[in-house]
Amino acid sequence: MTSNNPSAFLLMVNGQIEGANFPEYDDMYCKYCFVYGHDWAPTSGLEEGISQITSRGSGSQNLVWNFPIDITFKSTNPFGWPQIVVSVYGPDTFGNDVVRGYGAVHIPFTPGKHTKTIPMFVPESTSRLQKFTSWLMGRRPEFTDPKVVAQGEGREVTRVRSQGFVTLQFNIVTKDIKKLGYDTTSTEHAPAGLSGTQQPYGT
Amino acid sequence: MTVLTTERCCKRCRNAQSARSLMAEVHIIGQIIGATGFPQNSLFCKWGIHTGGAWRLLSGLKEGQTQVDMPQIGDMAYWSHPIDLHYTTKGLQGWPKLHLQVWHQDSFGRCQLYGYGYCHVPSSPGQHRLQCATWRPLGSWQDQLAQIFVGGGPQLRTPDLIYSGADRYRLHTVAMGTVELELGVILRHFDRYGVET
Repeated sequence: MTSNNPSAFLLMVNGQIEGANFPEYDDMYCKYCFVYGHDWAPTSGLEEGISQITSRGSGSQNLVWNFPIDITFKSTNPFGWPQIVVSVYGPDTFGNDVVRGYGAVHIPFTPGKHTKTIPMFVPESTSRLQKFTSWLMGRRPEFTDPKVVAQGEGREVTRVRSQGFVTLQFNIVTKDIKKLGYDTTSTEHAPAGLSGTQQPYGT
Repeated sequence: MTVLTTERCCKRCRNAQSARSLMAEVHIIGQIIGATGFPQNSLFCKWGIHTGGAWRLLSGLKEGQTQVDMPQIGDMAYWSHPIDLHYTTKGLQGWPKLHLQVWHQDSFGRCQLYGYGYCHVPSSPGQHRLQCATWRPLGSWQDQLAQIFVGGGPQLRTPDLIYSGADRYRLHTVAMGTVELELGVILRHFDRYGVET
């Protein structure tokens, strides 16, 4: 378990895609995948997944998937830190399966519990005519590879429309990151002997 | 400021890893989330990171342009543009600064400047949520009148003025919206040189 001179560190990600908030759409499912740099490799867990189809509950605006995420990465370099890319799909008026949103966020790197709400956006049609034909035919503009959303290049010319949010929860555990010399948390926020969420008695 | 370490010549160092392991490194991992508080919604952002002479970029893109977002709900335009940079440094001067230009693209495809802003990358490790305020140069009353009818407006000749305070005393500006960012900072080997963050 312990090693004196580790060459790599581990990042363990547990969590769930809790649900979504799309005011105008219903009956949706989501897919997730991870995008990471060349120095990273998943050691265990699933890199991709498709959730169940969920509908809005009575009296609630939110859609709930409660979809588990469980993966462990190994790396030598924080560059290319993994991002989770979530894509949400749902039926349109004619029953075709169309994309309702893409979103991406970096996996948090401080150990502990994190809740992230990410905006979801879809590519926009170039012209009104194309918008009408795509609505009619059920073939909306979508990214050929959802992983584009996690990259910084090549997005200058994309026009998108953001139309909802997805909530994710993460529990992060890292191993050997400190031994390799990396500081991921500010030392003043973690007093010795206490975790960040505990309060000393008597205060 | 004393130099933290001398850079070894590539011919001498056998292992690139061991040479890198002496230098202090900074990882900036985060996102430009979006912008809010601007007059119109169809916005995109050109961003860049500026550092001093002692800093060297090892991997990542230090400038870019986000997508154009037209939000359907609410006022905030969301870009979710990832930033992942790996710097190595020999000194503390010239800590990375992120500068932004927020532009508006209308339905005809014309682009108009909506604001300049900059913020320093946080110097303590951990995850930080930042709000960067933006401003726009204000021209004369003739420029402002023309801007109401045809758009456009004065722009800075060089973007250096966004993050430097040197020549600003003649500039008259007006406040615009805010850009939200989430930046995470990972530092390496800073404690070896006695640097407290």
